[in-house]
Amino acid sequence: MIELRDLAVRFGNTEAVRDLSLEVANDEWVMLIGPNGAGKTSVLRALCGLLPFDGDARVDGRDVRTFGRRELARLIAFVPQNPATPSELTVAEYVLLGRTPHLGYLGVDGRRDRRAVAHALERLDLFPFAERGLGSLSGGELQRVVLARALAQEAPILLLDEPTTSLDLGRQQQALELIDSLRSDGLTVLSTMHDLTLAGQYADRLVLLDRGTVVAEGAPKEVLSAANLAAYYGASVRIVSDDAGLFVLPTRR
Amino acid sequence: MAATVGSAETTVRARGVSRPWRFLAGAFLVGALLVGLGVGPVDIGVSAIVESALSHVPFLHVHSSLSSLDEAVLWQIRAPRVVLAAIVGGMLAIAGSSYQGVFHNPLADPYLLGVAAGSGLGATLAIAYGHVGHSGQLLPLSAFVGGLAAVGATYVLGRSAGSVRVVGSFVLAGVTVTLFLTAIQTFVQQQHSNTLRDVYAWILGGFSTANWSQVEVAAPYVAVSSIAIVLHRRMLDVLSVGDEEAASLGVNVPRLRLVLVIAATAGTAAAVSVSGLIAFVGIIVPHTIRLLVSTSYRAVVPLSFVVGAGFLVLADVLARTIVSPAELPIGVVTAFFGAPFFAVVLRSARTMR
Amino acid sequence: MLRRSLVLVAALAAILVPLAAAKPKAASFPVTIHAANGDVVIKSRPTRIISLSPTGTEDLFAVGAGSQVIAVDNDSDYPKNAPHTTLSGYTPNVEAIAGYNPDLVVVSNDIGGVVESLQSLHVTVLLEPAADNIAQAYDQIRQLGAATGHRAQSTKVVAGMEKALTKILRSVPKSNRHLTVYDELDPTYYSATSSTFIGRIFKLFGFKNIADAADTTHSGYPQLNAEYIVTSSPDIVVLADTVCCGQSAATVAARPGWGGIAAVKHGRVVAVNDDVASRWGPRIVDFARAVAAVARKS
Repeated sequence: MIELRDLAVRFGNTEAVRDLSLEVANDEWVMLIGPNGAGKTSVLRALCGLLPFDGDARVDGRDVRTFGRRELARLIAFVPQNPATPSELTVAEYVLLGRTPHLGYLGVDGRRDRRAVAHALERLDLFPFAERGLGSLSGGELQRVVLARALAQEAPILLLDEPTTSLDLGRQQQALELIDSLRSDGLTVLSTMHDLTLAGQYADRLVLLDRGTVVAEGAPKEVLSAANLAAYYGASVRIVSDDAGLFVLPTRR
Repeated sequence: MAATVGSAETTVRARGVSRPWRFLAGAFLVGALLVGLGVGPVDIGVSAIVESALSHVPFLHVHSSLSSLDEAVLWQIRAPRVVLAAIVGGMLAIAGSSYQGVFHNPLADPYLLGVAAGSGLGATLAIAYGHVGHSGQLLPLSAFVGGLAAVGATYVLGRSAGSVRVVGSFVLAGVTVTLFLTAIQTFVQQQHSNTLRDVYAWILGGFSTANWSQVEVAAPYVAVSSIAIVLHRRMLDVLSVGDEEAASLGVNVPRLRLVLVIAATAGTAAAVSVSGLIAFVGIIVPHTIRLLVSTSYRAVVPLSFVVGAGFLVLADVLARTIVSPAELPIGVVTAFFGAPFFAVVLRSARTMR
Repeated sequence: MLRRSLVLVAALAAILVPLAAAKPKAASFPVTIHAANGDVVIKSRPTRIISLSPTGTEDLFAVGAGSQVIAVDNDSDYPKNAPHTTLSGYTPNVEAIAGYNPDLVVVSNDIGGVVESLQSLHVTVLLEPAADNIAQAYDQIRQLGAATGHRAQSTKVVAGMEKALTKILRSVPKSNRHLTVYDELDPTYYSATSSTFIGRIFKLFGFKNIADAADTTHSGYPQLNAEYIVTSSPDIVVLADTVCCGQSAATVAARPGWGGIAAVKHGRVVAVNDDVASRWGPRIVDFARAVAAVARKS
């Protein structure tokens, strides 16, 4: 259960996030959408302790700033937009890094950790790749490896910053299906999303940000309106809703 | 393909040092030590060495057949030299691997943050004002303190230059401190031109005056420093995904970096204080292990020490046999192997892409 | 009237002629010196001499030209009363040198083209580089004597040195002439072979220099391996690193493994002042004397 109240993040003189309040219930998948520079990424980074902030950010009622670094990492797994994938590490080694919050400062991985890694590899269908170097994988395979590491962290909360960046349409859908399937193990997901149609198809709730604050939130069909998108994205769209779902179609004026 | 989770556990294993490599590295070091002990301008046979060694073991009542002069040569001159070369070589290599992990740069060497310039200045001041040449306690102490002070200055400068998270600012601070201290050193040398040869000889590095007291002085620092780095080898792997991601995995990156830099620097400063500035070891050895064994620091760190030790022992053997009974500065030997090595690395890196 | 003038002239002649004959100065200049920088003409007796060479300084004062020296470089520390300045012989500043308005400058090396620079300012320069052998050392003393108007004195100095050296050599019994010697330049075991100036002095005694076998690169100054020195067990150890690096007979005996070498056992470790061991002036006699003192010990 994530609660953000009057969250503010400042970079020098610029306010990236201001007066931001939102809640994510357990096992919910909430997506943050909004135009470039709306502050979506900053919200995620503040929540997992990578950015200083003012205001309230709580997980299960406790201020995130009161958690120790490792403790917080056992609670929240963060996948950045462009994760570093050192080409010399093997898939198994990279996924094993996800166990870092569970090991002591100088601890060595044990059976429990290896089992978590094996579980993650299995879930993401990566066993054939276990001993391969990251440098030899395709974009789609790397995406799965990155998710596997987050999974190995065994954290109940997953923060994803643009999880479909640089993936083709097929891979985008695969990635989102994958994340959706992981939720069955009990996972709260907060992610940012560029593609509005996909956001509408997978999210339980959407939160629309503009210039650092929440301007609309609710079920996808409530948030994704031509009026909203015109007002905040400055985009001209047509919303089509049928049995297959909700679609945001750009129209040329 | 579906493997059960049980057997999967065995495939999921981070590459530590596999058994064959452990054996190979160990054999390399032991071989190097034996060669170092057996080779020299004075011909002492292997059986005589073994006999002499055993004669020092109590209760065995083995008598050495060597003359007292040869005994002195073997155990007072040659043995401490081999041991010192081993611990200095191991330290420089492991410190190099540690710096490479901390700064995400496979070509970082243990002198990156100013240890070389600081020690050099300390040594120059001791030679110019302390009238000690290479003997006495003043020179190693001065070099040690100089090395630490330089890195301290680099740290302070790098921190004040911006966010501690920015690795580049430390490297730049290191360059600044190095240039500044080197300029001071040059000035002092010019003022005391009679020190030129002594300082130059020290900078080139060498073990020509190695003795057991130097080993006693350097060993504790090297031991503590190396053990600290070995314990942190897994953390060095975590650093390879960058500061931000490492932090999101629960690592206190600035503190980890500080601990590793302190450990590597203290050990390097101690090594430099007894052996001068020996170049290339800190880069050649870890990189060779990366190419041959594994890029994971779980392997690179411990193997660097073992292989670095053996490497420098062999380099020292060359330094004292090529123009025997004269000596070559060891910096010449390591550089002579370093330059072609870089060429090979560059070539193989290109073909790997 | 005429008689009185004649007497005056005779009286004046009686005074002046012997004076003119007694003063050698008037006949000594101009003089041509065959120095290392070619033939240098010294037009008149120099009275504002600058020496940038410690050995040159010693030579000048030895031949009696000390009062004509106005400045010496910062490494010239002998004799003590030489006019010490901060001029450097290694990084000579031509302007600073010229600022003294010298009429003769003595240097031992031509770093940075200082010879030509000074000559372009019409300053007379004598280049007297490190001597290769003792004959050259004598020659330099004679040159400086001629250049400063002390030719006779310089001849006396050289003769005195030759005599002293002969006496010192004779003082070492023939039985001790074959001894082996190790000359230590610094505590990392750099040594000087028989092809060096100091090595030739050892050769005069007939000693064998252990550094000779080690000089595969013919540099004259090889760095020896400690093992080699110890097993060679030299009969004589000459320490030239006493001032710079605090070495002495005691420190040598304390070195691990060195206690057993012949020089230590028979008390033939001689500590020589670094400068005395590295210059090629009149004090080479002192050097030879110190070496002979230990060579005589049995």
